[in-house]
Amino acid sequence: MTLHVMTPIVADEPPRLQRARGYGRVSFRQTDGRTRLEDLVQEGSAKIRLPRVYDGRGPVAVLLNTAGGITGGDHLVYEAGWGPGTSATVTAQAAERIYRRASGVGRVENRLTVGAGAEAFWLPQETIVFDRAGLARTLEVDLAPDARFTGCEMVVMGRTAMGEDVTTLSLTDRWRIRRNGRLVYADALRFHGDTRAILSGGATGRGARAFASVVQVAPDVADRLDAVRDGLEAAIAASNGRLEAGASVFDGLMSVRLIAADGQALRAGMAPLLERLIDGALPRVWAL
Amino acid sequence: MTTATRTTMVTSMADGSAAAEPRCTGDDEDRAPDGAALVRLMTWLSPAFPVGAFTYSHGLEWAIEDGTVTNAASLEAWIGSVLRHGAGRTDAVLLAEAWRATRVRDTLRLTDAADLAFALQPSRERRLEAGAQGKAFVTAVAATWEAPTLSALADDLAPTPVAYAVAVGVAGADHAIPLGALLEAHLTAFVANLVSAAVRAVPLGQTDGQRVIRALTGVVAETAGEARAAAPDDVGGAALRADIASMKHETQYTRLFRS
Repeated sequence: MTLHVMTPIVADEPPRLQRARGYGRVSFRQTDGRTRLEDLVQEGSAKIRLPRVYDGRGPVAVLLNTAGGITGGDHLVYEAGWGPGTSATVTAQAAERIYRRASGVGRVENRLTVGAGAEAFWLPQETIVFDRAGLARTLEVDLAPDARFTGCEMVVMGRTAMGEDVTTLSLTDRWRIRRNGRLVYADALRFHGDTRAILSGGATGRGARAFASVVQVAPDVADRLDAVRDGLEAAIAASNGRLEAGASVFDGLMSVRLIAADGQALRAGMAPLLERLIDGALPRVWAL
Repeated sequence: MTTATRTTMVTSMADGSAAAEPRCTGDDEDRAPDGAALVRLMTWLSPAFPVGAFTYSHGLEWAIEDGTVTNAASLEAWIGSVLRHGAGRTDAVLLAEAWRATRVRDTLRLTDAADLAFALQPSRERRLEAGAQGKAFVTAVAATWEAPTLSALADDLAPTPVAYAVAVGVAGADHAIPLGALLEAHLTAFVANLVSAAVRAVPLGQTDGQRVIRALTGVVAETAGEARAAAPDDVGGAALRADIASMKHETQYTRLFRS
């Protein structure tokens, strides 16, 4: 990793003296049949809270970026580890905002390791991307052969409720999921330039301003497909044409894609989908 | 013949961008295809080559059912987006990477490209489309024209199939087909196959279909050029509705196509 030193301020640059840096790590181990915190590291703007909650899925770790958003040159790294037999959720305190940058892109690296028989829930809230923002994000997931994983990423282009448009953007969002060391799923979203124009096409977004990817890895994932599809169709029918989604199962994993007219319609589709996939209520921080 | 050598895997920087590295950009890539190369391109990428291309619509059949594609103009828009923002570009980037890795005999780099190309397929039917065509291409080439690197790669990856675009790239490199021509031929075959699917599925005449193919030649050339300038970590796109279309096609009531 290249460490940026403080750069000279030029006149039209936002008034930030220093680029935000953050490194956070949380890991869990199993003791006496219960999942407990093993390790917690917080550096720079990356904070991790562990509220006392009992939702039947083990502890919840809540990520928090104290820089209040991400702009060009920022660099955040989060690592989460699930020891053998553990079950725990990692979520985020709030939507992550990606602000207009003077130069460079913000980098976010999320690395998850899930041990044998463990169940990992990666449920961050949405990422709101503003005009002229830059973000390169990666999600790397390493799963033991029998580990279970449910994860999502949501992206909303601007404050859609206020009619904002994102016409200039550099966004890459990469997923890599390995099971037993083998790459079983990869996704790469890439928006460079006029996002509104890119998403206007019938094969891209047909005017969508928000989208999400959801993946579940589990040995019995195929059994859920019909119910997930029924749930999606109900949400689509209720959305007044503001939501579209599809789901597919292959190689022991389910992939779901959603696109929506705005962030609200996306959340309306995501909440019941995730609750179905995790067999319970969403983390409390998700409540608005 | 290139003089560039590579012995290490393609690595990515912490920021997710590709590491700056020398690329194999010798005469090999830009050379005009000679007669031998043209014969191979026309044979391998012909609809008659036994990979079953005509059975796949890449989600287009659902887009027709859905009313997104109804005529020549909307067909051209759909395929143009898939080229620029979807599998067209992504496949082209990884075809180029596989071609280069084969030319410099970098097995790790080749395996990485092949793994990524298959893992990127977003749905069951797109995995079938990339995997079954790749497998059929490997078998057909091995039985006729032979491509030693491709056969070795298929053995190495089994039971995971070699994605079709990567298989074409490796066979092309084994037979010294220039990369530029290979990319444009591959993308044109992809376009022609989708147009053929549309001609069979919507009231679109043969001539209109040919007009769409001709209209997209510029996008094909741009996509091929962009793919050659890209690193494998630059793959990615925005063809979200095309992905959803392939997922929804799984439950489409009336289907002519396997994808």
